[in-house]
Amino acid sequence: MIPRRQYGWPRAAAALVAVIACWAAISSASGAVIHLAVRSQSEQQRIFLPADFAVKVNGKAAPVLSAKNPRDSQMILLVLDLAGDMTDAQAAKDALAAAIEKLPASTFVALIRAQDGPTVLVDPTADRNAIIQAMQASAVTGKAGLLDSLPSMDALAESIAKVSNLRIATLYVTDSDVRNYREDFANPVINSSDPHDLSRRFPEALIEDKMDKMEKAVAARETPLFIVHLRYRTSKLNAAYQSGLKRLAETTAGWSAFCASPAEIPAAIEQAFAAISSQYVLTVGLPGRPAAVQIHVETRAAIEPPVELVYPARLLIKQR
Amino acid sequence: MQRAVLEFRRQTGALGMRVDSAHAQRSAPRPAWHGRLFENFRNDALDAIPHEIRQRGQQNSLLRRNQFGFNIGGPVLIPHLVSAAANTFFSLSYEGVREHISRTVLQTVPTLAERTGDFSATVDKAGQPLLIYDPETTRPNPDFDSSRPVSTANLQYLRDPFPGNRIPMSRLDPTAQAAMALYPAPNTNVGPFFQNNFFINSPETNIANGVIAKVDTPVKDSHRLSAEVDYSNGLLGAPRWFPTDANPGPADRNFQNRMGSLQDVWTISPRTINTATLQVRSNVSKAGAGQAIFPRYVIAPYLGLGRAFPFSSVANNIYDWSDGISSRRGKHALRLSGRYTANQVNTFLPQFPEGLFRFSSGLTSLPGINDTGHGFASFMLGLSQYAERSVVADPSYFRRSSGTLGMADQYQAAKSLSIRFALATAVRTPRVEKYNRQSNIDLTRINPANGRPGALVAAGRDGVSRGFRPTTVSFQPSVSLAWNPLNRSDTVVRAAYSRANYSIPIYANQWGTQAFHARQTFISPNVQLAPALVLRQGIPPLGYALPNLSPEAANDSVADLLDMSGRLPMIQSASLSLERQLPKSIVVALDLGHSRGRDLLLSNGAANPNAIPAAALQYRDQLNDENFNASLRPYPQYKSFDLNSSYPLGQYQRDALSIRVEKRASGGLSVNAVYTFSKQMDDYSAPYGEQDFYNRRNDWALSAYSRPQELQLNYVYELPLGANKAFLPYADWRRFLVEGWSVSGNVYVAAGTPLALHPEFNNTGGVLSTLNVDVVPGVPQHVKDQGPALWFNPAAFDQPPDFTVGDASPTLPNLSNPGVHSFDLSVSKRFPLSADRTFEFNASAFDFINHADWNQPDTVIGPASAPNLNAGKIIGSHGGRVIQLGARLSF
Repeated sequence: MIPRRQYGWPRAAAALVAVIACWAAISSASGAVIHLAVRSQSEQQRIFLPADFAVKVNGKAAPVLSAKNPRDSQMILLVLDLAGDMTDAQAAKDALAAAIEKLPASTFVALIRAQDGPTVLVDPTADRNAIIQAMQASAVTGKAGLLDSLPSMDALAESIAKVSNLRIATLYVTDSDVRNYREDFANPVINSSDPHDLSRRFPEALIEDKMDKMEKAVAARETPLFIVHLRYRTSKLNAAYQSGLKRLAETTAGWSAFCASPAEIPAAIEQAFAAISSQYVLTVGLPGRPAAVQIHVETRAAIEPPVELVYPARLLIKQR
Repeated sequence: MQRAVLEFRRQTGALGMRVDSAHAQRSAPRPAWHGRLFENFRNDALDAIPHEIRQRGQQNSLLRRNQFGFNIGGPVLIPHLVSAAANTFFSLSYEGVREHISRTVLQTVPTLAERTGDFSATVDKAGQPLLIYDPETTRPNPDFDSSRPVSTANLQYLRDPFPGNRIPMSRLDPTAQAAMALYPAPNTNVGPFFQNNFFINSPETNIANGVIAKVDTPVKDSHRLSAEVDYSNGLLGAPRWFPTDANPGPADRNFQNRMGSLQDVWTISPRTINTATLQVRSNVSKAGAGQAIFPRYVIAPYLGLGRAFPFSSVANNIYDWSDGISSRRGKHALRLSGRYTANQVNTFLPQFPEGLFRFSSGLTSLPGINDTGHGFASFMLGLSQYAERSVVADPSYFRRSSGTLGMADQYQAAKSLSIRFALATAVRTPRVEKYNRQSNIDLTRINPANGRPGALVAAGRDGVSRGFRPTTVSFQPSVSLAWNPLNRSDTVVRAAYSRANYSIPIYANQWGTQAFHARQTFISPNVQLAPALVLRQGIPPLGYALPNLSPEAANDSVADLLDMSGRLPMIQSASLSLERQLPKSIVVALDLGHSRGRDLLLSNGAANPNAIPAAALQYRDQLNDENFNASLRPYPQYKSFDLNSSYPLGQYQRDALSIRVEKRASGGLSVNAVYTFSKQMDDYSAPYGEQDFYNRRNDWALSAYSRPQELQLNYVYELPLGANKAFLPYADWRRFLVEGWSVSGNVYVAAGTPLALHPEFNNTGGVLSTLNVDVVPGVPQHVKDQGPALWFNPAAFDQPPDFTVGDASPTLPNLSNPGVHSFDLSVSKRFPLSADRTFEFNASAFDFINHADWNQPDTVIGPASAPNLNAGKIIGSHGGRVIQLGARLSF
């Protein structure tokens, strides 16, 4: 065995060379990196290393500089947006409590309430009881708050991701009805004496516009958004709203579920936590400084069986 | 992790998300105001010419419409008074409408020759000359054999036709002649024969301005107050059917709608919430102000003159208070609720202040013989079959209230099963009048005039209650469940049952005030022999002072009758559905629904408590004698009853199967399709009324408005184009062109409503106000090549013989009217101006494939001797593509 002390300087030199090479690689590429939230849809528990991922950015291979995997620490920003039926809300709270109990100790959870502007109920903590008690004590009332709180939550998640070496996920548990927002998306009839109004035959235009703006806003987001909606509504207006929520989650490589009955809520929340826990964060070097990139991520060919990955297929690049 | 937690605290403080940091609140970014400005534009230059206008040879369908407004909302910020930290939000919306739009109607008016008394060219529906008889030549037939039915071979009365089928000018009624100056001339000749000769294409004016203002704010930590005020003023300038004072079209109408509400949501504890709401609503409608008042002339088969309700003023005020407390206890979600509603209707609505005159063919016919005489000839002679005048001096101030107490429990019986029970107790008071100016017919009191049951009673007098009906208490249970069989969360079975009652609404008219506002009624002693009134003599003045509270005050009139039993309409419904989520975001649901109702509120055509039993048809032509006819009525002192859509007798049943397929959004596309197969039966909705009041099972038939098959399809497609989308992912200037496109559509396709036929003549001596047709056995009712040339086989039906009932059902089980189709499409393009600002351009096309729906076929069945040659044929179609362009700036 070679005494470690004897070869200290060569190891240091090698490390220095590696850092310089890495820096050079990044510099030659652009000096910019993106953090990709990637998760596996397979149920196998295998942990992938950075070298297991092959990433293409705008069709060209891009280096995976590092990867945080499901065994690494994670912070979940749990946002309650509950203003409707208490039965749904209680089913959700109970399911959340069960899921939080099962989280590994390295996962911190913050609890935020969306009504009347996002309000922190519990700071990020590994204390499960604190989260569960605050959650059970949270009232089910007020106006729907998902859309109003999302920009703040977006900024919060991104800023934490920027300064920390953690996997960050935002999970909304909502029962929001598009008609219950402060902002008027329902466009109610104002002049009941107007017999020929055709403008409200397509009532979804306003909420589509809003969701389109939100989608653009989250397109530059590097932290995934997960949404569990407790009450799927079939009205045209709500269908457009729920469709928009689904697009928001898909855009960020997150996940969404819409429950048709209270019995579906526990499974939906369990799946949401499974998806959150399976999240990787890949740090990928960028070729050039594009405003937007198309991304393709797969596991290396040597990995069998092939693993289906979920990742943001397109990403707007923030001006840093 | 520590860095992350610190950053969390720092960032949430900066974003104003922490309640424990005053500094953070001050430094939090100020929430922005959001809103929109919009304009929707329609002009006939963009539209297809409607089919009904093109078919009349015209090229113009005026449409000028601008709908514009704004919405703005956000935090209320008043320096030194209300800061963003107060979390008070407002929303203000305004919308204005300026519109001129063409309205079209195809009608029949008398020919120019007929207006001079010349009926020499007038034909019946078979195209055969229609003889006009001179009522002054009427005399008994000495050879009449009373043991045989009246027929051309056995006339009871003899009457001579006018020579040359022309009424001498000297015989024409001067009032009728004067009215001719107000009758526009025919302007088209659609036919058949001289029918459908007047096409109305007149603009309607619509001006409206409305505002909705909302404020909501938290009060302390546990209350949230919301207030809303709605305000809308409108003018509906009705189309002018005639450019004269005798215009029979609707009157101009002004609207004033106001609403104010206040809501407090009190979070008593995380598991208990109380919501209290107070709402006040006032809808005021005024019509006919400044417009000429003309008597109403009803001249079968022509478009009449003048209108009912020529002027009116109606205020409908609703005061509504409700409170509900919801609490979660273990597996139970409990809710207790209470509601009190007070409804006021203040109305001044004289129906015929200048009189109503009805003219029919009877007085110019050969008595007892169908297909002779003409209603317009009777009019030109000034001989009305029936007349009335409304004498209304004062407004009525109607009041009604109701209270409901309810309790509900949603019980989570198991992980996969939740059950909801609810029971509401409703207490409803009957309608009363503020000054007790109401009257009714009490069918148990003896009328002094003839000693028969049925006498007028006044509210609050002689032991009569103020509302005539008792205060009612009803219990309304409901139960529902949602079950995931085998604990499969992708499958839901739902079942529900409910039972509910509803009360008689306060209508806008002044029905039920007959003792205080007289209805002068003039009834012909024999509609074939003597007029009720002669037009030139006018309506005589009321011969008594108002109010007239005597028990006989409504005798010899059409009396307002309110059922005093306290029965309330009841509807029960049950449903069972199975919903299954399939892969690829597809949801399929199968729904079975059953509902039935009893004691539903009926109008005059569907119920008649003073009807003569059909067995009386055996008296045949004697029934034309009003005195004999009256003697057969249950309440002979009344010509009939006006039930004002308040008589609780109707029944219905509906069974439906629907399949819903939903493609929830994936790739920006969402589709929702619902196909419904249903059957609805009732005993009241037949469009021409019910035949036999005492044998309602015979009138049990398909509901007139039921459509056995319906398909509704809605789709929304956000095109995946642009910087972060699947196609054309341009990030440069081109993204402004390719991104932000969306397409939405609505499709509605439905089978036709059941066909209802009626015979051309109703010679039943007034026993049956509605007569069904006869079915000809063995003759197919359908035609081979169904189309506008022939929609059904009229030979399969026949005019019933005189003084017999028809054997067909009121609506036919195997024949339907043409179906309806609607295809609407909307294309939107959003131009992002900044992160928060968007300009959207929208083009919507309604009936975008310019598909016309056929009009309904001619449903009049004539006798075999003179059949209606147009029966079963369809005249024209309607509809046409309408395009609306919209622009919206949202911020």
